[in-house]
Amino acid sequence: MNSLASRKRQEKIVNTVCFVLVVFFSALCLLPIWWIFRSSLMTNNQLFANEVPFFPPDWLFSNYPKALVNFPFWRYLKNTMTIIVPSVIAGTVTAVLGGYAFARMRFRGKRFLFVLVIGSMFLPTMVTLIPLYIMWTNVFHLNGTYWPLILPYFCGGGAFNIYLIRQFILTIPRELDEAATIDGAGHFRILISIIVPAIKAAMIVVALLLFTQMWNDLIQQSLYIHVEKKFTIALGLSQFKGSLKQDYSAIMCATCMSFAPGIIFYLLGQRHFVEGIVLTGMKS
Amino acid sequence: MKHKKFLALLLSVLMLATCSVTAFAAGNDVVEITYSYWGTPDEAASVQAVADKFNSENDHIHVTVLAIPNEEYTTTLNSMAAGNQLPDCGIMNENGVLDFAADGLLADVSSMYDGAASMPLDSITFKADGAPVAYSAANEILFLYYNKDMFDAAGVAYPDPVTPYTWDEFVETAKLLTLDGNGNNAASPDFDANNVVQYGANVDNWTWQLEVWALSNGGRWFSEDGAECLINTPEVAESIQKVADLYLVDHVAQFRDGLEDSGIQSTIAAGNVAMATGGTWNVGTCMNNVEFPYGVAPLPVMKNEVTICTGGPQVVFAQGEHQAEAMEFIKWYTKEENSWDSLIATGIWMPILEEYYTNEELTHKWVDNDNFTMGYDNFKTSVVDYAHDYAVSTCWYYVPHTNEFLAYLRSILGDVWTGSTTAADALNAGEATLIDIFNGE
Amino acid sequence: MPKKTKHRNALLRSENRTAYLCLIPSIIGLIFLTYLPLLEVFGLSFFSWKGNGFDTFQFVGMKNYVKLLTTDPYFKESVAVTVYYTFIAVVGSMIYSLIIALLLNRKIPARGFWRAIFYLPYLLPAVAVYLGWNWLYNINYGLFNFIINRVFGWPRVGFVNDAKLVAPSLALVAVWLSGNLIVIFLAGLQNVPRTYLEAAEVDGATSWQRFWNITIPCMSPIIFYNLLMALITNLQVITPALALTKGGPGNSSRFVSYVLYQYAFENRKFGLAAAVAVMMFILIGVFTVILFATSRSWMFSEGGDD
Repeated sequence: MNSLASRKRQEKIVNTVCFVLVVFFSALCLLPIWWIFRSSLMTNNQLFANEVPFFPPDWLFSNYPKALVNFPFWRYLKNTMTIIVPSVIAGTVTAVLGGYAFARMRFRGKRFLFVLVIGSMFLPTMVTLIPLYIMWTNVFHLNGTYWPLILPYFCGGGAFNIYLIRQFILTIPRELDEAATIDGAGHFRILISIIVPAIKAAMIVVALLLFTQMWNDLIQQSLYIHVEKKFTIALGLSQFKGSLKQDYSAIMCATCMSFAPGIIFYLLGQRHFVEGIVLTGMKS
Repeated sequence: MKHKKFLALLLSVLMLATCSVTAFAAGNDVVEITYSYWGTPDEAASVQAVADKFNSENDHIHVTVLAIPNEEYTTTLNSMAAGNQLPDCGIMNENGVLDFAADGLLADVSSMYDGAASMPLDSITFKADGAPVAYSAANEILFLYYNKDMFDAAGVAYPDPVTPYTWDEFVETAKLLTLDGNGNNAASPDFDANNVVQYGANVDNWTWQLEVWALSNGGRWFSEDGAECLINTPEVAESIQKVADLYLVDHVAQFRDGLEDSGIQSTIAAGNVAMATGGTWNVGTCMNNVEFPYGVAPLPVMKNEVTICTGGPQVVFAQGEHQAEAMEFIKWYTKEENSWDSLIATGIWMPILEEYYTNEELTHKWVDNDNFTMGYDNFKTSVVDYAHDYAVSTCWYYVPHTNEFLAYLRSILGDVWTGSTTAADALNAGEATLIDIFNGE
Repeated sequence: MPKKTKHRNALLRSENRTAYLCLIPSIIGLIFLTYLPLLEVFGLSFFSWKGNGFDTFQFVGMKNYVKLLTTDPYFKESVAVTVYYTFIAVVGSMIYSLIIALLLNRKIPARGFWRAIFYLPYLLPAVAVYLGWNWLYNINYGLFNFIINRVFGWPRVGFVNDAKLVAPSLALVAVWLSGNLIVIFLAGLQNVPRTYLEAAEVDGATSWQRFWNITIPCMSPIIFYNLLMALITNLQVITPALALTKGGPGNSSRFVSYVLYQYAFENRKFGLAAAVAVMMFILIGVFTVILFATSRSWMFSEGGDD
């Protein structure tokens, strides 16, 4: 009895220590974000001064409208969404179709195709960058448009996502679709009415993965988009740094603004993300 | 059959999603041409103003400006050229002009100055095998900016507007202007190099600007006819080492990695450095906002009095269907009266025609205005006259492959700025590759 | 009986057709966006091509590879830098995310809130992250140098300016960005069967013993997965070089991907760049194979796992 109580107490101490560590690490984790935000509210001369205050001396929110003059955030956001929205939808839908076929159907060449899918998961995207660039540029003459960035997502949404969806569908009891088959439902009816509701979390994870992938794909965007009017947020930011050189106050404003969409996207779907990612962890 | 219906529905949704992505502009009788430019947002606004003026005066050509980031300009145009998507005309980044000309991507410019009273300065004419292939739209030279308040506070005399500092005088002056947290300057024995609050000097080590120090020190990166690469010589190595030593040995400069043009904005314009080297454009792009009085002076001299000049050329690309219209716009643009208010009178561009440097009436017209806060006399002697008498072409006016050459040079000099190697060792190690790049291999 | 088989065959045929309908997009993607380009990049690496029209290919045999392995000024160093960076980034982010996940797995208040904080960096656009960190690292005005120089009076540190420090500095950002690993680890930890842990506790095992003998083996498939993905991602690193360092100072952040980018899109030497791509394929392949081969010895399998 005594040992149990002491163990309980010990447990409590460990938990408290862990909590303190968590708070400490998350403070460290947030420090860069705070520093960027704090710098966005200062003038350049304050930033280049010898005094380095932890809080901005004047909280210059007026820096934001000023930064918007040279960093048209809303246009860049619109351009980015023009690429991301159709790609995320198409990528998720085609990944679900592919994953469903692999999970539930029998067809000739299934093993072979599945090996191809798994194999392409390990293929670095940088390796195929050049042939794809040549294809889009010299064969289809689509360089300068958004198509080279969007169209690939109409083709399966990436092997990993197909695999992920397949793994999820495998966890759904087959009896459910068999019952539906007896009721005369076709494959697509089963997909829509049984499978999709059951893998909603996985679909949201796939959408999130596609979203972050495109959000961060500076290299491809810089290969295909050259004109400032068509810039995405990633391109706008890298150009902004190039052209403003050392106007750090404005650069930090632009950086903070571009943080917002990801955070909002996350807050909207947080419950599903976590659920989905937890499941991802289990599946992998 | 149900699934077919579903599939059709699905496909149409996907199609709809993608179709909504593209939008096309309606065409009419006006010839649409595109003009690409690079530069800071201030310059961009000025370029837009010029194009707007042309569009309002002209009813059969409409110019749309395309902004392309400065640092990726040549790469981007290369990429556009491969996709047959070059703009109709534009300002070209200097480091790609001769390569573009060699690939046949630039239209003939021989008629550009037909009927003009004066030709552009020879030093800003791009030449392949001696024949002009492009003319810079502006003349930009390097000189020294200084903060008068800091000189006054330290009780040091301003730099002479005519006679440049020798390099040693420059370093000594910079030491007097470098202060630590206790108020000691860098010449004092109590000076604490780890606690500097004001630096005396910043010599921009953005790679292309280093050529001026080679020339100043009696060396050359390339032979005058552009036929030979001479970069691995003691003179060149010493010139680079002297720049690096301002930070490493003399402690009068902040560390700079040489990766980008950062010379003015975060140094003298930010009010923490007393003297800084930089190009003319800074007069109109960032020194116009400073809150202290500043002056200008010629660059310090290692052995020879010299500065280098540069400026992106206006070109018509040889891929488009509307080359005649594009040439019409470029000709209009290069007439000085059309870029005058936004670019020349503001100090961003120096005129390219020789008469502005030789005919003082025209110099007055150009410099005698409020944008030149250092005063007419100061700018005239230290910049205008110096540009006329001592400016020589930057290498990209007569040497090809400079984009690649400078990128590699930048990479081998990285360790020089931090002091982990010397300029001489870096050049020895990199010479073979630099010469390969120079030879186009 | 024959009727039934016939019916079955018809069903199978229809299923066959439906499956292919579902897979059309993926098959197109696999052929035209993955495997065909892979073959093309191998082919292209034996040619010299400047990117101007398809009639200008020049066969050069192994010349591109010979150049990369002998006189090329960038390639060899880029492999070393990439491997060095990847090592620090992978080891760092695995340790960091496992520790954070273990902490978050304890009974602590508002767990979801803290988890969100650690996940947050992963959702920020990479370019913005590197711009922000560049400012933190700034040798003259950054936060870290303020602490080092102004608070402690030590000499300033060029986190992204010093050739020796730039790879570790960029790897630290990668560690900071590894929020997704934390969430996956956390999911794995919650999956470790409680019964095992409780049984061990009854047997008097210390928490360290429980961690080492139960938690880690149960987690090994997840560790393997995270390791593999982190490895493949980091070996392809390019964004910090593209957005920030341009490969410098010196060649200290000139990652293999950046050399590929430079050769293909700045210098338009597509053949040489294709050879870099092939070498990169081999490099990543070697690491993947090593990881798979060694995994047999340390990965714990529950047997019935799919």
